[in-house]
Amino acid sequence: MVIAALVCFAILFVAWMLAPTDGRRSSRAAPEVAPDLAALPGPA
Amino acid sequence: MPEISAGDTAWVLMSAALVMLMTPGLALFYGGLVRRKNVLSTIMHSFFILGLVSVTWVLWGYTLAFGPDTGLGIIGGLDWLALEGVTGEPSSVYASTVPHLAFMAFQMMFAIITPALITGAFAERKRFKAFVLFAVAWSTLVYAPVAHWVWSPDGWLFNLGVLDFAGGTVVHLSSGVAALVAALFIGRRTGLVEPATEPHDVPMTVLGAGLLWFGWFGFNAGSALGANGLAANAFVTTNTAAAMAAITWVTLSWLHRGTPSVLGAAIGAVAGLVAITPAAGFVTPAASVVIGLGVGVVCYGAALLRLRARVDDALDVFSVHGVGGAFGALATGVFATVAVNPAGTNGLLAGNAGLVATQALAALVVAAYSAVATAAILVVVNLVVRIRVTAPAEEAGLDLAQHGEIAYQP
Repeated sequence: MVIAALVCFAILFVAWMLAPTDGRRSSRAAPEVAPDLAALPGPA
Repeated sequence: MPEISAGDTAWVLMSAALVMLMTPGLALFYGGLVRRKNVLSTIMHSFFILGLVSVTWVLWGYTLAFGPDTGLGIIGGLDWLALEGVTGEPSSVYASTVPHLAFMAFQMMFAIITPALITGAFAERKRFKAFVLFAVAWSTLVYAPVAHWVWSPDGWLFNLGVLDFAGGTVVHLSSGVAALVAALFIGRRTGLVEPATEPHDVPMTVLGAGLLWFGWFGFNAGSALGANGLAANAFVTTNTAAAMAAITWVTLSWLHRGTPSVLGAAIGAVAGLVAITPAAGFVTPAASVVIGLGVGVVCYGAALLRLRARVDDALDVFSVHGVGGAFGALATGVFATVAVNPAGTNGLLAGNAGLVATQALAALVVAAYSAVATAAILVVVNLVVRIRVTAPAEEAGLDLAQHGEIAYQP
């Protein structure tokens, strides 16, 4: 069971390494595109 | 076989829950201090660590920190990997009146908040993936060994007679120094306008400070590991030092800048809590008043110096936790008395100047190790994943660039 627990964490760790570094697969926005901060209330 | 005390067990488990709450409290404390475009990423650092270190602590952190020593007083062995052998029965070594699992859980909450403290230094410019790697490495390679040195009965600093009731060196000095190194490594934020970037939500920071103050009762009074008079002493000294440092910081800002700062009250309280952490179970309530005043003055000065040095330790982690932790370690050497805790040692004022030297040595060693190991971890992580985000991402804000979310809808 100890090995199984370590493997569970290892699976997540590998997933983190494979995950997008700068969110490029995000459907919300590309990181290089600055949001319209002026449209947000209050100071940026 | 030691007998379990229901009262002690209830208090230690409750204290673990109180300390757990400190990490979301820290998230709010830090979250309020950054610009609105980075509040989610800042909160996420603490909240993700709550999950991450909970798991790594169970798997290998606890056994490295508190497991049976490997022979040199430097690190624990793998006997308790994934908590094998850590059960509902008391440990033969730690907290003999509570289940070993309760002691482990209490220590886990300390292991969680310590790397979370560092995140204030690299706020607003660190890649999330690099942060994850850094957090795993730092909690394994810095926190676990330092905890072993100071708190394991086989630890080499423990056996030198170092007193650290709840983590002045293990938690605050180690993380504060790591924060300074991280800030120097990652560099200043771009587009920073002096004076330092305005906090985007001071009420959020004050709420976070309030939660930290509340949780700190578990941190310090819980470190008595029993529902007893020592816990009551730690409770009172903790509250008194926090209160004294808060009103000291406000007074200084009032005299220095002309207005009594609300933010100063919050930061001052945290500085007081940091300084009393190593001392809480070794000093009297009267001494905690002096410690609170002293750390308020010293940390206020350190924060001013940090600004002059133009080191972008974004949320003053070093000034509060590094300097406050070192101050508390030395203050313990001055004010400790066996009248409060017969298991401790007398300090300078009780005729034992040697304790100050021992405390200073521990502070120096922990600071030096944390600095070197943190630098090495940062170099290696940076080879795997660039630690700093791109300039456009930094301009856009990490909430959107790294997490694809924004905190406040237009």
